[in-house]
Amino acid sequence: MKFSTVVIAGLFLVPAAAASAQGVNDAQIASIVVTANQVDIDAGKLATTQASDPEIKKFGQQMVTDHTGVNKQAVDLVTKLKVTPEDNPTSKSLKSGGDDNLKNLKGLKGAEFDKAYIDHEVAYHQAVLDAVDKTLIPGAQNAELKALLVKVRPAFVAHLEHAKHVQASLKK
Amino acid sequence: MNPHTRIVVVVSLVAAVALLSISVGHGAAVKPAKHTVTIEAVAFKPDVVEAKRGDTIVWTNNDPFPHSVTAAGKFDSKEIKPGESWTYKVQQSGEVPYICTLHPTMKATLRVK
Repeated sequence: MKFSTVVIAGLFLVPAAAASAQGVNDAQIASIVVTANQVDIDAGKLATTQASDPEIKKFGQQMVTDHTGVNKQAVDLVTKLKVTPEDNPTSKSLKSGGDDNLKNLKGLKGAEFDKAYIDHEVAYHQAVLDAVDKTLIPGAQNAELKALLVKVRPAFVAHLEHAKHVQASLKK
Repeated sequence: MNPHTRIVVVVSLVAAVALLSISVGHGAAVKPAKHTVTIEAVAFKPDVVEAKRGDTIVWTNNDPFPHSVTAAGKFDSKEIKPGESWTYKVQQSGEVPYICTLHPTMKATLRVK
């Protein structure tokens, strides 16, 4: 019962964050992008050491690699644009949701960990994708920042589909 | 020149010109071509390449993370790091679907005549 409550609470944090991101400026968007990537990097790192299914470990490693690459590109751009990422309710909510997810995952082992990790990855990528579409791309003022968001969006789509595929394979 | 001889000469000339143009055309057709495919925004662009045996295809990864160019049992680039390229010389005819093993949603086709 406790496990379910924590998972459900964790999943709800992300859509709530996306919904509250109306009217964000470029500095806040930069913070949301960097935080969203970092949260998934941290979960991926945990999966590489704690997952039992090789596919989950592989997926986790790929999340670390891909989101690190995206983050480097994002940081390079905001540095060039002289934009300082600014904390905001969405980035804070993403961070605390990520922390809750890690805390929950650290208490799980074997198949239970694998399922909780991949279920969260599916929900997380869907929620971030919604935020990218509804808030971040429409809200970005700087053309280069907007272009970066448009360019990295397919990565979130690919990760979501990949996560769903791995999730389905676990159920077999 | 009698009419018969004239016909023979004309036919020979036409045949010679035809042979020459076939030879020139053929020469252009066998010259290997280089095709480029950009890997960007988690997609192969273009997603269909038409080539012939002996041509080379160069895939360049413009994304900030690795990709692969993999056709099971045919060719496999392994990981292509950001900013790097991989070259393949086309060896066999037919339609070859390929994917990125790291992002299986990335699908494309190499069509070899």
